[in-house]
Amino acid sequence: MPHVEVLPNSAASVAPGWTYVVDTGYDPSKVAFNPKNKKRAAAVPSGQRGENDLSARQQTAIARRIAELERDNDPKQMIAIPGKPSVPKTQNARRIIQYQRQIKHWLDDEEAQLAQQQQVPPLRRETTGVRNAGLRRQSTMPPTSTEATPAPTLPPLRMDIDAASDDALLDVSGSVPPPLDHATLEALLSAPPLPYSQSFAAPTPAGGPPQRQFCDNCGYWGTIKCRKCGARVCGLECKDAHEATRCLKWA
Amino acid sequence: MPPKGSRKSASAINKTLVLDNGAYTLKAGLVPSNSQSTPSYDDCSVIPNCIARSHRDKCTYTASELDDCKDFGELAFRRPVEKGFIVNWEAEKAIWEHEFMGAKEALRCEPRETNLLLMEKPNCPKELQKNCDEIVFEQFEFAAYYRCVGPTMAAYTAPNAASSTPSPLPQECLLVIDTSYTDTTILPLFNGKLLQSAVRRLTVGGKLLTNYMKELSSLRHYNMMEETYLLNEIKEAVSYVTPSPQQYAKDLDRTWRGRLGDRRELDSSVVVDYVLPDYENAIHGHARPHDPAKSRMRRGMQPVQGPREDLLPLGNERFAVPELLFNPSDIGIQESGIPGAVMESLSILPEALRVGLLANVVVVGGNSLIEGFMPRLEAELRTLVPSEYLLNITRGEDPVKHAWLGAARFASQPELLREVLVSKAEYDEKGSTWLARRFAGER
Repeated sequence: MPHVEVLPNSAASVAPGWTYVVDTGYDPSKVAFNPKNKKRAAAVPSGQRGENDLSARQQTAIARRIAELERDNDPKQMIAIPGKPSVPKTQNARRIIQYQRQIKHWLDDEEAQLAQQQQVPPLRRETTGVRNAGLRRQSTMPPTSTEATPAPTLPPLRMDIDAASDDALLDVSGSVPPPLDHATLEALLSAPPLPYSQSFAAPTPAGGPPQRQFCDNCGYWGTIKCRKCGARVCGLECKDAHEATRCLKWA
Repeated sequence: MPPKGSRKSASAINKTLVLDNGAYTLKAGLVPSNSQSTPSYDDCSVIPNCIARSHRDKCTYTASELDDCKDFGELAFRRPVEKGFIVNWEAEKAIWEHEFMGAKEALRCEPRETNLLLMEKPNCPKELQKNCDEIVFEQFEFAAYYRCVGPTMAAYTAPNAASSTPSPLPQECLLVIDTSYTDTTILPLFNGKLLQSAVRRLTVGGKLLTNYMKELSSLRHYNMMEETYLLNEIKEAVSYVTPSPQQYAKDLDRTWRGRLGDRRELDSSVVVDYVLPDYENAIHGHARPHDPAKSRMRRGMQPVQGPREDLLPLGNERFAVPELLFNPSDIGIQESGIPGAVMESLSILPEALRVGLLANVVVVGGNSLIEGFMPRLEAELRTLVPSEYLLNITRGEDPVKHAWLGAARFASQPELLREVLVSKAEYDEKGSTWLARRFAGER
């Protein structure tokens, strides 16, 4: 196959509305849009999909649907501004007003800039670590804050039970959280905002209740799986409707 | 510290436009500073932040002109704010000019003689913030300007705002849950300052709920994909949040038609018929309890004479749609619901802060008006929060305008405002990069 390469010429100019984006490598959320591996799942050596795992096609459909549900403006219809627009007062203002970019372009820009600043240690990983630790602590501890009071090394059980145990019973320091450390607080208050893409809440933890499945057609519990595409339906009637309209087999 | 001269000019101007520039509506009002009267909800106008175009009457409606619209059928919207951030300045400029510099009396102001307090969403891309600053000073030429994260201003007012008096001090610990049109954000505040690293965001907001309602109705009944306005109205009128996941399962059973050959009667306490507007006799529809006879007649024939009506039966859509706020995974969004996000946000904070924040939670944003939202949120949070902690959760008296009111009270106190405002002269001298750094909290 001949090697074809587009040579840059003088006519190439930076058009508004698109930008180069740094390829950050493997991103599982984008694989779904553009599955590279077209082979059947069964042929993959790692084995068959689990019962509740989604096929690439289903993941694509879900991702597309969510994107559709949270879209702000319909790109197909352009509504013109009524009346005669006033003249922008400066060159800068004119440039900003004439931008036809959408939010995804700006967010991609932000991502690209972040990727360029990779030498700075990624902030989020730190916070995730702390976050996980916090979660674990919360789920296991009775929050009378075992880490606040030192481990019960001295056993005052037999020694001076009359004086110490009264104090121990009346002592509330175990249930009072440790006072705010000034340095930690300063650090929290002066932390820069997270980038938009990293501000999203984490998925439900793996140990939580399984995802609820609903009928694709009527919204009742989805107890039956469509054999062709894996969507859930509630009964025969909805299965017929599903196959007639929404089945992904031929999508 | 601003130089002396600019401070004088900033304080000489005693009118502030407080503007919460939401994706769905603008919350705006002119607040005189150093006045004795404290601003209230009545000083705030809620204006649609969109330019709408009707294919039917070939009219274009800008922002508040939408109130004059008589036919919302197939109305198409252009919204300058995407994902909560001002993206399209062409449209936003037209809307601001229409509302604040146009023929309408209520909010008209001369930008050169007005301060601007603009409220934005958290985690805004820096480039967009810069664009915003440049437009405010170079295009509109406001006298002085301050940009802040909107819900943080809720710290300057109490939940039962009407009775309380403004105080110069923010609430010490406040956890704001802002469930708005674009998304839902969790914002922990300490002394009115945002703890940025603990801000969490959920994809689910009012827009997603409306679109989901639209999708479900289109799949099950009529094609409503163009009827965004109508479905939003239906969502606001009929949707409710079930008190618990168990009740959700029960209600789901009550709205089920049953299997072939084993039909069930639909429970008319849950299922409603929504009478759709025909835009001739009625602009707005209304809901009424489900009547099986009527809906059967709908399938057969309608009377040729007399009033015709189109019914949209709504069963599990009523509660399955707002359920996404608590279980986004129902449609495959890989996020935990609002209570989970709150706990996630708190988990990175020191325990003393956690206790303080949970004792003072305030919910703002339009989704909190959905029936049953607050009891469900409180019940689910209570199960996640350790039992020793005090949990105090309230909804702002008017959740849509609550953050605005906080900002208005902030703006009505000249000594607070003087600290944060940046005048145009300073901007002209030091430029937009300096301004962005200053609003980010660096001095």
